Amino acid sequence: MLEALIYGAVIALISGTALPFLYRSKNARKASFSLSFISSILLLVFAGIVLYTGKEPVFPAFRFLPGLDFTLAADRLSAGFVLLIAVVVPGVSLYSVEYVEHAKGEARKDLQTALTNLFILAMLMVVLAGNMVGFLVFWEIMSLSSLMLVLHDYSSEESKKAGLFYFIMTSLSTAFLFMGFMSLFRLTGSAEFGQLDYPASLLTLPFLCLFTGFGIKAGLVPFHKWLPYAHPAAPSSISALMSGVMLKVAIYGFLRFLLSVSFPQLWWGTLILVMGSLSAVLGVIYALKESDIKRLLAYSSIENIGIIFMGIGLYLIFKLEGFEALAMLSLVGACFHAFNHALFKSLLFLCAGSVVHATGTRDIEAFGGLIKRMPHTAVLFLVGSVSIAALPPTNGFVSELMLFQAYFYSSALLDPLLKVLLIITLSVFALTSALAAALFVKVFGITFLALPRTKYAEEAAEATNPMLLGEAVPAALCIFSGLFSSRILVLLGFDLGIPDMLSLGLILGGACGLIWLAVRNSGPSESPRISKETWGCGMLGQNSTMEYSSAGFSEPLVVIFKKIYRTEISTTRTYSDTKESIFKSGTVRIHLIKFFEERLYLPAAYAVSLVSSQVSRMQNGKLDTYVLYVFIAVLTLMTFTRYYA
Amino acid sequence: MISSFLADPTFLEDMVRILFVFVLITAALILSTRNIASLLTVYAVQSLLLVLIASSLYFIEGNRTLLAIAALTLVSKVLLIPIFINIIGEKIKISRDLKFNYLEPTPSLLVSMGLILLAYVFLSGFFNEFILSKLFFMGAVIGLSLTLMGMLVIFSRRKVITKVIGYLTMENGVLLFGIFVADLPFIIEILIVIDLMILVLLTTILAIGLDSTSEEYHQRLQTLKIWSGGEEQ
Repeated sequence: MLEALIYGAVIALISGTALPFLYRSKNARKASFSLSFISSILLLVFAGIVLYTGKEPVFPAFRFLPGLDFTLAADRLSAGFVLLIAVVVPGVSLYSVEYVEHAKGEARKDLQTALTNLFILAMLMVVLAGNMVGFLVFWEIMSLSSLMLVLHDYSSEESKKAGLFYFIMTSLSTAFLFMGFMSLFRLTGSAEFGQLDYPASLLTLPFLCLFTGFGIKAGLVPFHKWLPYAHPAAPSSISALMSGVMLKVAIYGFLRFLLSVSFPQLWWGTLILVMGSLSAVLGVIYALKESDIKRLLAYSSIENIGIIFMGIGLYLIFKLEGFEALAMLSLVGACFHAFNHALFKSLLFLCAGSVVHATGTRDIEAFGGLIKRMPHTAVLFLVGSVSIAALPPTNGFVSELMLFQAYFYSSALLDPLLKVLLIITLSVFALTSALAAALFVKVFGITFLALPRTKYAEEAAEATNPMLLGEAVPAALCIFSGLFSSRILVLLGFDLGIPDMLSLGLILGGACGLIWLAVRNSGPSESPRISKETWGCGMLGQNSTMEYSSAGFSEPLVVIFKKIYRTEISTTRTYSDTKESIFKSGTVRIHLIKFFEERLYLPAAYAVSLVSSQVSRMQNGKLDTYVLYVFIAVLTLMTFTRYYA
Repeated sequence: MISSFLADPTFLEDMVRILFVFVLITAALILSTRNIASLLTVYAVQSLLLVLIASSLYFIEGNRTLLAIAALTLVSKVLLIPIFINIIGEKIKISRDLKFNYLEPTPSLLVSMGLILLAYVFLSGFFNEFILSKLFFMGAVIGLSLTLMGMLVIFSRRKVITKVIGYLTMENGVLLFGIFVADLPFIIEILIVIDLMILVLLTTILAIGLDSTSEEYHQRLQTLKIWSGGEEQ
């Protein structure tokens, strides 16, 4: 049964990859997305069975090369992430049926369809990989297929830059993973994932390598810079997959390692917690400043990844301090947040895709009043915003609540230093949540409310039905998994004392209904009604320039966090007289320092290019020099083997 | 009387030791001699020394292969190859190789002293477990350092023709090492010699067809854009 489900899903995805190349037509693309839809249904059933029964199926190995078997294996952890894939893919498939047709040229449409399927398949296989070899192979396929999708608009400069950035970062990530897995392999002598009963000092190197590798892929600060470049360049359906699923695959890999370590160390947990908090708060602060809608969502992903890592860090700390129940609460909270983020972030990216397609720009300053033109998209976007801002009764609220609960109980900890750390990170977390709410008030308000700011926004048309349907699936799941969160978690065997959202939801719904009724019925029906324009400060009419703009909305926060944004203001003045009292002219230049890019990435890039230019000087094409190299190599080897081997 | 000397192993071993010293002297000469004709003579002398060493060993050990190796070396390396190269040298009218890369003769002599020391240290670690007689150990050391010195010749001298001699010296080193340590099968010796012949023939084509220093060769490659290495174009 399980075997049939998983092979069915894999075969569907493989045929979905091949189909657009074999029959290059619109119908083939439709069929291809139907196949990925079908595969996600199969995966949903598969994940449900494994999660519910706790079975750990292992499927027969394919032999890549002698000595390199590739097994498919699933346990509850991987089934949880298979479930995550299975809930995001249906929406994306439905959405893409129509969305992919907006791409330029038949070849690009076919390629995008095929690669989407391949990308989903690769992510699935990474999660199901039974050993490190398979994991790395599919990890690379995943990275490369998503790279090609980021580069889909390969003629534009922006895409090229994004692609290059993404390629470098993803290669770095793989390099670190490779080092980490190699050092694990040296330790255990086996490429299988298994319990690691080694003292933590031996596992320090693998831990650091894997944390960095997975952190780069997940977009942890300071390795996050590829996200805000890659997401705007990629098609929106792919952004939904990348942000919704691929980042979680990295989290899965990290958890797979971390949960198999028998004796972790406290500083691991502290490191993860601190990095997570930094990512969370910096992610949302950068997002507030952003006015490119997809880049903004990318920064918000960084924030959420930070929250997930905070949960993982808390899990380690509580586990080592002996609070098993709190550890479980944090871990389940982190995983549930990963699941929820997959849902609402894919929803938001899909809606953003509709908006961008309808208006032709990604700049939210150019939107406004879209709720009139695109009412359905607006409602769906609102659902996503409410979830991501963690308002009850949606799923985002539940997972953040779980983490907050874990934090609140942490006063039981004995170590005073740890207590201080947890209080600091708790306050950072609280700030993050508040800022995230402000962020999505801004996004929704500026995009959908008030008057259109440009003629593009005025002429925007509602998205077509398949696209709306694709957005509706994750939106419905957001509400469903929020309302039934405690029931779902109990069903999966985690009775963590989460408040019942269903009753809360009913109360909230009832209250809203009552308010609506009250407002509707309590109008001044008897008193004479005067219908006139409001006083417009002497202006003849209200227009869009009087609205709150995106930059204006975030200005107070920008001022508060001036230190973090590192704005550099330089002024020049010239005066008419020598005593500098009569001002003649002047300039002011406001420059936003891209801190990580200018202080971390560029110096590293310069160093690499400096070293490589030195190295390329070694390759001068002269036979004599090459013989000299060989000579030196031989001498070095001789010395080395004499003294060290 | 000669036969009584040949039957005396200690005398023969002393002889081999003296020959070792001569081999080293020839190697030093190959590193520093500028005149190509004398370089060739030195090479021929070096090969002849190897012939003598191999035949002395035959009288000590009685292994027939050694005699065959001696004969092969005599024909190929003492006679045929020097003659070949001499012909090339006359055709391309180069009698001297004056310039050096990276190492001038004096430093390269110093370096080669270091090489002998390194070879000694390296092999003494390597052959600890095998009990190798002192003579054989010395042979291995000289063979290895001769190989390294041959390599030194390849990159420190400019003309293709001297580079070939460096390569041939390396091969002599390998032969010496093989005689004393590895017991190379005779067939491999033959194959190596055939390789050397082909190398010399190829050098003829290259040296006459293209110019005589590898630098000009390199320049020609660059102007023809066959091989764009480095950034200097």
